Amino acid sequence: MESAPTDRVWVWPNGRTLGLAAVLVAMCYAGASQSNGAAYLLCFILTSLAIVSLVHAWANLHGLGASVESIPPVFAGDDVSVPVVLTARKGGSHFGVLVSVSDGAPSAHEGAVVPESPSRLEVRFPSPARGHYRVIPLRITSDYPLGFFTARRRIKVAHEFYVYPTPHGDLPFPLTVAPTRQPRDGVRHEGDDFGGTRLWRPGESQRHIDWKAAARNPVLLTKQWTGETDEILYLDWATLPGLDTETRISQLARWVVTAERGFETYELRLPGKIVRASRGESHFHACLRALASFESPAAN
Amino acid sequence: MDIFRHSRYSSNVATAPLVGMIIALAAAVIPMGEKVAGWVICGFFAACIARLIFNRPGARLPSLPLKLLLFAGSVGGVAFNYGSAVGIEPGFSILVALVGLKLIEANGPRDFHVLGLLAFFLALCDLFFSQDLLRWLYVAIIVLLVLATLVRFHRGTSPGSYSRSTWLAMRLLLQALPIAVLLFLFFPRVYGGFRFQFSQSLMNIGGMSDRLSPGSMSSIALNSDVVFRADFPDGNIPPMSSMYWRGGVLWRGDELTWVLGPFFSRTEYQPAPMSGPKIRQRISLQPHGGRWLFALDRPMEMHGASYLPGGVLQSKRAILSRYRYEVTSLPEDRQTKLPSDQMRAALDLPAHLSPRVKALVASWKAESKNPAKIVEAALRYFRHERFTYTLQPGSYSDANALDEFLFERRQGFCEHYAAAFATLMRVAGVPSRVVIGYHAGEYNSLGKYVIVRQSDAHAWCEVWLQNVGWQRIDPTDVIAPDRISSNLESYLESHTSQSDATSGERSLAATGWREIQHDLQLAWDSLNYQWDLHILNFDEDAQMNFLMLLGLGSVSWASILIWVLIATALFVGGLSFFLRRSRSTVDKVGRGYAGFCHALARAGLPREPWEGAQHFAARAAAHFPEQAELIGRISQLYIELRYGRGEASAAHFLTAVRQLPRFSVKSGT
Repeated sequence: MESAPTDRVWVWPNGRTLGLAAVLVAMCYAGASQSNGAAYLLCFILTSLAIVSLVHAWANLHGLGASVESIPPVFAGDDVSVPVVLTARKGGSHFGVLVSVSDGAPSAHEGAVVPESPSRLEVRFPSPARGHYRVIPLRITSDYPLGFFTARRRIKVAHEFYVYPTPHGDLPFPLTVAPTRQPRDGVRHEGDDFGGTRLWRPGESQRHIDWKAAARNPVLLTKQWTGETDEILYLDWATLPGLDTETRISQLARWVVTAERGFETYELRLPGKIVRASRGESHFHACLRALASFESPAAN
Repeated sequence: MDIFRHSRYSSNVATAPLVGMIIALAAAVIPMGEKVAGWVICGFFAACIARLIFNRPGARLPSLPLKLLLFAGSVGGVAFNYGSAVGIEPGFSILVALVGLKLIEANGPRDFHVLGLLAFFLALCDLFFSQDLLRWLYVAIIVLLVLATLVRFHRGTSPGSYSRSTWLAMRLLLQALPIAVLLFLFFPRVYGGFRFQFSQSLMNIGGMSDRLSPGSMSSIALNSDVVFRADFPDGNIPPMSSMYWRGGVLWRGDELTWVLGPFFSRTEYQPAPMSGPKIRQRISLQPHGGRWLFALDRPMEMHGASYLPGGVLQSKRAILSRYRYEVTSLPEDRQTKLPSDQMRAALDLPAHLSPRVKALVASWKAESKNPAKIVEAALRYFRHERFTYTLQPGSYSDANALDEFLFERRQGFCEHYAAAFATLMRVAGVPSRVVIGYHAGEYNSLGKYVIVRQSDAHAWCEVWLQNVGWQRIDPTDVIAPDRISSNLESYLESHTSQSDATSGERSLAATGWREIQHDLQLAWDSLNYQWDLHILNFDEDAQMNFLMLLGLGSVSWASILIWVLIATALFVGGLSFFLRRSRSTVDKVGRGYAGFCHALARAGLPREPWEGAQHFAARAAAHFPEQAELIGRISQLYIELRYGRGEASAAHFLTAVRQLPRFSVKSGT
């Protein structure tokens, strides 16, 4: 998670450099045409200052440490939020540091990075295609001290994160419920306790639909009672023939999300990869990770 | 009205750097005040205040139509004010107005940098008006302020604010000096062939004009502006009382007014070889707008200047910027032959002469026909007839000035005496002319040079005596001999202090203080002169001499520039090495926490990517109950260090991480 030691600080001119150059040329011209020695001297001092500020701009980013903390996974289409930790070198501070991910992406600004107190900032960028990523290309820039040059540094921070496929699709749940015990038809039996709700599936009795929740939720939930929860919902790639890969993946993601929301026990079956039936947050993420990396279009 | 409605944009520049920039801009505008319309200056300062008001929370910046209206109004106003939008005053007025408008609309980093560049440009303009050391230090302070403001701007919200930014700006300036010196010495100076020249000098000019009339000298007698400074490279310094700095020779006189006179044909005039001891002078002339090149009586011909028949030097162009020249004078040389047209001019009488004047001259001629004797008689007349030397002679009527001066009022300054004496000589048949220039000056013993000020302006007379040549006669010497042996300032001082001699002790202390003050002034002037000599005067020739001195006279500019580049690169390398201080330090806290996570992962409890430190700690504590306390402490310290206010100690955290045992891999939990 440490920054690679080989990255270099590059200092580039910017638009303000051109402006300064114009003023310097005016000073030099004034010095020559008006035989004004004082104008010459001013021109030389400012030229020299620009050169010195270039070195300071370089030194300002030199030794700045950058690392990335755990990146929460996101669904494709949402912004990835990268928590970046900046640490100052020994005995030095870094000012006006801007961090961004890849080119042109929005960046976060941090006033100063001082020793003994690492700065933490959030860099957000639009998520790339679904997949499993292992490297964050960070770009650190600073215009400090005078703004006439921009110091730039590219750091590839090794840190993995997932971009989950966008949950999308409105196909009904597959009716591949494999009960582990004697199937029950959802009819309430005496002595059963209320055990929360689960998704209502077409074909089930409408008597147990939680209509109060239906008013708030787009999905229909059915009340369930203890003893009914051991049913397993198989979310199977094979049940979605005739669709292209991404549509299938999105549909499966939609089902995973809906199933998790409905406290279901579900199992994800992909060609060559099966996430065994379970439920809870860990399971939910495991399924989405599997979907994210399945035949991932992302290169890394 | 619609245009006065504020725009949607609120200010985007922090107040602290903005205040610094406004002060720098205002400081840069002040020295241009003379050449900028008064209302523009007022408008500029109003813009400064307005911009600060806009920066208060909730305030809005002016809208685009309002800005356009202000722009059109100020440019149109300047054009109306001066009748044109082109020229020096309109140009500077529009510049200041535009800077003010830019200030109002400046919003955001880009605009802020434009303001910084404008401040640099205004500082450059300040140097058009004066180049002396004081002005340059003033400009240097403006530059320092702009630098500190830019640094402050880029420091963002970090603490330390202005004092640290100023400190860094000073360090930047200091570190910039070596390259600046290098560039100053070796960057090739190019002169000539420039079309852009100011049509008039922007510097403070005044002083000697081409004509002499009652009041023309006394009007500048209290002006302490420096006209020129002169040093003597051979160490051959003439006594002060005989330092007559020749400026112009006036051939044509009427009453008390004298003017340049006729143009003499060059064919008849051949400057003769001159003889006698030489005095070499190096003169640093301040721009005076005229063409006079002052030199001690009587200069030799000089390269780059015309030599006029009156024995004076004249520049081929008006002196609009500082000019330094070296000239040799031969005080004992005598011209032996006077061309006939000059003789005619030197005897040319005014159209109207009063009978009283004629009678006076006739009385001298009755005593002796010898011109030298007539001169003596005239001087005797000035000495014995209660003439007074005064700065306030009152005004003389144009028509009858000579008569009024000689016979009635008898009060005058040097120009009255010189003009009257020359006219009297012509009436007596002695060829004469009036010379204007400066007399003496102040010797700066610290820098070993003479400072000549406007207050040293003087007019004297020259008469042509057969076998002698032009003879300098200074009637003022007869009226006020101590004026000639000292300069005007001390002359006036001694003559006024006589009147209030009663306040004895106090004036003694005051004199002591004044002497200290005077010494300090001389020291400062000496510094200024060195500045003038070595910095401002470092032109093409001086640079060539310097290169010759280094033995680089025959080296091409290309190779000199390459060496300058190499030296600059070496300096930059050295500076970066110095600034690097220490290599990149690793994020010990981050590494420690990574080790903690790694240890737990190996024990079968990897931290999930979405998991925060808090969540992970709870899970780990539940998984390893016997280490719950340590896990909790490490996570708490980590969270404190990363997200807290920095009260936690990194050392404590690292010690806690080191206490972490190797977790035994549990399989069945």
